[in-house]
Amino acid sequence: MSNCTCGHEHDHAANALIPVRAKVINIVEETPDTKTFFISTLDDQKPFDPEPGQLGMLSLPNVGEAMFSVTNKGEKHLEMAIKAVGQLTNVLHEIEVGQEVGIRGPYGNGFPLDFFKGKDILFIGGGIGLAPVRSLIMHCLRNREDYGKLTVVYGARSQADLCFKEDLFTNWPKTPNMEVFITIDNKEEGWDGHVGFVPAYVEELAPKPQATVLCGPPVMIKFTLPVLEKLNFADKDIITTLEMRMKCGIGKCGRCNIGSKYVCLDGPVFSVEELKDLPPEY
Amino acid sequence: MFTVQESEIRDLLNVLNKEYKVFVPAKVGDESKFVPYEDNVEFCWDRNVLLSVKDKFFPQTEPLYKFKTKRQNLEIEPLAPKDEPVLLFGVRSCDLQALNCLDQVFLTKGFVDEFYRTKREQATIVALGCNEAEDTCFCTAMGVDPQKGHGADIQAHWLQGKFALEALTDKGQKIIDTLKSYLKEENLEVPETKGFQLQPDMDGVPEKLKGMFDSDLWTEVARKCLNCGACTYICPTCHCFDMSQDVRGEEGFKYRCWDSCMFEEYTLMAGGHNPRPTKKERVRNRFLHKLCYFPERYNMLLCTGCGRCLSVCPVNLHITSIIDKVKEAN
Repeated sequence: MSNCTCGHEHDHAANALIPVRAKVINIVEETPDTKTFFISTLDDQKPFDPEPGQLGMLSLPNVGEAMFSVTNKGEKHLEMAIKAVGQLTNVLHEIEVGQEVGIRGPYGNGFPLDFFKGKDILFIGGGIGLAPVRSLIMHCLRNREDYGKLTVVYGARSQADLCFKEDLFTNWPKTPNMEVFITIDNKEEGWDGHVGFVPAYVEELAPKPQATVLCGPPVMIKFTLPVLEKLNFADKDIITTLEMRMKCGIGKCGRCNIGSKYVCLDGPVFSVEELKDLPPEY
Repeated sequence: MFTVQESEIRDLLNVLNKEYKVFVPAKVGDESKFVPYEDNVEFCWDRNVLLSVKDKFFPQTEPLYKFKTKRQNLEIEPLAPKDEPVLLFGVRSCDLQALNCLDQVFLTKGFVDEFYRTKREQATIVALGCNEAEDTCFCTAMGVDPQKGHGADIQAHWLQGKFALEALTDKGQKIIDTLKSYLKEENLEVPETKGFQLQPDMDGVPEKLKGMFDSDLWTEVARKCLNCGACTYICPTCHCFDMSQDVRGEEGFKYRCWDSCMFEEYTLMAGGHNPRPTKKERVRNRFLHKLCYFPERYNMLLCTGCGRCLSVCPVNLHITSIIDKVKEAN
């Protein structure tokens, strides 16, 4: 758009509300209720090039359209890990490789990469909350020399509910200067790892204060924040990503506001320091 | 300024109608709204229309694209915008200011809404000054000059049985030039608008509201509100929309339609979480959006004092009384 005022160098020539056609080229079953969809354009290109933490609007036009975090990008595809929780996502879980979909984006601010550069980073995730966090972890791994030690603390209800198992158990633990701590809510057969909730596990691990990414269900966030405070983490060093219902994705349709901020444009990534300036309405 | 007798206004509109699709304020049954100009329209010059011109730029329902799905295949067909110059004759200052608000929403902050932009660029606007305020008017309190439409191409006044026209832009001047043979050059005095009964004091209100998120005021206000959404549909600045689809077999189209922050489903997320679960949060968000959040984001109020919500609210929950209460609050 010639009259675009955003100051970024993205291409706004196309109509932002109209998706491009794309196709699902691979589906990975992460957990009983979560699948990762690999998406390319019809001519085998990446539909758009998101920064870590940015969002994409995915649609089956005859069913609906919803916003998802892009959990990873490849040379020629994007990955979205999607939990079946509603009308569209339930149908998405029924589709097969080859399905054509609509996609538009990227939306949102993404993670503050400059802030993380050169730092040790603690990633805390719960359940499907690892999906947006993973985009940053993958970015750090692709640019390994730019970041310090990477520590992942991740929890899910049960073994079966752990997302990205290959990363958690194989890829990440063997990466130099990276540690992965996994916990599940309750004891179960065949699990000899840690048992307990994420906040308590963080307290037990007592990591030194550092740049932190925190993402998971509201109850996990609620109980992890006081733990981090106790461990002397600064609000400005704790980064989280928010979810809200969205329709347009471009700051017009109104519904994803928190105070005067729109999660689709000004978020979804906020520091705890920034959130404390906003009404607690999310 | 140039004048034309009121009795000859139809001659003038007939000329304009050749080049533009002309809309005029008219009485239609119990309602009044902007309708395409025809010889038999019953003009509404004496007061503002009930339904603002918002829908000429942001229709209540607007198709966005068509699609076809067959097995795994998908076709998407964008819908080309209508290439049709439009002229709106007789838009009041409050409704022009509302368009200025919508311009901020749809044309700034990184993304331009193409559907809105196309219609906005194709429109020429003749503003119409207000000689008399209605009981529900309070535009002056919101910084709007009822005799000067900000952003119009021509300013018109309805004075002494005549229409007086003054060009405000080149586009407006061009129109006056083409109408010259119907116009007489004379200067009429534009009187001050009479009869304002509401003068809420907005001084310091947006700033004060920043600290009032947890105020008891919202509990009190929510008790009365029915969450009916009438205020949001009648409001010339409310811009929230839903996007959905109409599907017939393998074919369908995506559309957007007006939505309302008063409704529970507006923010209800898949999975059941709702950040604004009760009336209280929704009412609070509506008034804070108008009087605090929007000014913070765009440096202008999202209320133009048109007074429509005052006349439609079934429980007389007036934004003017909310402003008064904010002023009074400790």
